[in-house]
Amino acid sequence: MMWENVKLGPEAFDLSGKRALVVGAASSAGRAIALALSEAGADVTVTSATPEAGEALAVKRLAEQIAETGRRREPQALDASSGTAVQDMVRQVVKDMGGLDILVTAPDLFLGKEAEKTDDVEWGRILNVNLSSVFYACRAAGPEMVKQGWGRIINVASAMGDRGLANGVAYCAAKAGVMNLTRALAQEWGAHGVTVNCIAPAWLEDSPGLGDPDPQANRLIRFIPMRRPGNADEVAPLALYLASEASGYVMGQTFFVDGGLLCHL
Amino acid sequence: MYREKLELKDRVAIVTGAGRGLGKQMSLALAKAGAHVVAAARSQDQIEATAREVEALGQRALAQPTDVRDPASVDRLIQRCVQEFGRLDIMLSNAGIGDGLGAGKELWDVSDDEWHDTLEVNLSGTFYCARTAAQHMVQQGGGVIINVASGTALRGYAASFAYAAAKAGVISLTKSLAVMLVGRNIRVNCIIPGFVVQSPPADQQAADFIRQRGRFMPVQRLGEAWELGALAVFLASDASSYITGQGFVIDGGGLAGGYAPVGFAPEVHMA
Repeated sequence: MMWENVKLGPEAFDLSGKRALVVGAASSAGRAIALALSEAGADVTVTSATPEAGEALAVKRLAEQIAETGRRREPQALDASSGTAVQDMVRQVVKDMGGLDILVTAPDLFLGKEAEKTDDVEWGRILNVNLSSVFYACRAAGPEMVKQGWGRIINVASAMGDRGLANGVAYCAAKAGVMNLTRALAQEWGAHGVTVNCIAPAWLEDSPGLGDPDPQANRLIRFIPMRRPGNADEVAPLALYLASEASGYVMGQTFFVDGGLLCHL
Repeated sequence: MYREKLELKDRVAIVTGAGRGLGKQMSLALAKAGAHVVAAARSQDQIEATAREVEALGQRALAQPTDVRDPASVDRLIQRCVQEFGRLDIMLSNAGIGDGLGAGKELWDVSDDEWHDTLEVNLSGTFYCARTAAQHMVQQGGGVIINVASGTALRGYAASFAYAAAKAGVISLTKSLAVMLVGRNIRVNCIIPGFVVQSPPADQQAADFIRQRGRFMPVQRLGEAWELGALAVFLASDASSYITGQGFVIDGGGLAGGYAPVGFAPEVHMA
């Protein structure tokens, strides 16, 4: 029906009653988004993207932080580059939470290496963690959302998916893949109230490869029009908007959070 | 911590094209987020109605008749705002003319005036508003400029190529101004709507027409003007503090596809 469920005010960003899954929640953006979704009222489950111990611990701590003000949900240790593992995890999470409304994928594994020195294993790994895992998560979650006639999928890629970065070929290719995967999925699930979009941050304070965050010391930072890297807390509110009822007409798009970097000649 | 970034408490916004449709809905959304609103457009009656609705939401409002094609009128608009409210935080340039001014005509039937007028209202008006608003924003230490373009700017639009060209100019202007003004704490972004219905359909026939057109969008419907409200609030607020120079497409997924055309089937004129 037209002009029903109009959300014009702050209520537009309220996520009470929504069930969210954040895959790759140990990343800078993933973590901030999980906290923001929970603050907005969503019930949030977080997972790692790799079985690496440090990541599992970070995700466990994040779940505890969320449980302080939100609902307590078991953090999931996950090898997101395994389609079966992802499928099983999503199935379990849907059972535990009673459904799934919001999926955020935010795995982020960077490799800074010259193209000719990037071997097959490294190439495969970067693609698996940054791109395949996103596909696996979307493939598992999408049908659940389609079933209920409402859903929000938010893939966190990178501004480096839209440009080339020397010594970052695998990462750039993977992140670009996420952006077009987003467009392709948007052509499949739109009839069922599911939107699929992408957030592409550029340099954040803890981005690997940034180096010294001090603008005086760092050659990279002087190319950012805002003359500073972003903070993950400046990425999270965009996820709130994209996860909300108010963004139903936003579809298949990538939004850059980059301090003006991509406008620099 | 995150949701409060979306608040606009006591910020002052000017919205052009605020008398109806997208501009009116965005004015109301900004007001609901806490902003005071100067509603500008050529029609006095319409902007006064918008101003009353803003006041009904508990915010202050001013209706200022403005023709964005006239730099003096734009200067007066910003002057009145600063006079009345003491500040200007958000300049939302939404005024524009879509189909009119030569739309639908064969290329060689479009007159000089129709071409110039389309550029004047859609592109120059945005420039005039940004030029004057930015000067005030620099003095007060910062601000936000939001322009409104169109999805037609990103493709070819035979039905109104002048409109699409002007809107493409708006997207480019947004990026250039973002780089120029970033050091003065002014962010500049633009909203790029696809097919969005300006107001609820007046009758069943209109509703059916909208539903038919909506079938071509991946989301299976056309957009509704109120849906730009939350996006305007996001871009106006600290929630987008690290975002500048960007275009935000809100179009139901059409521009993300493309192997087969969506939306209106283009009429192809054979020679």
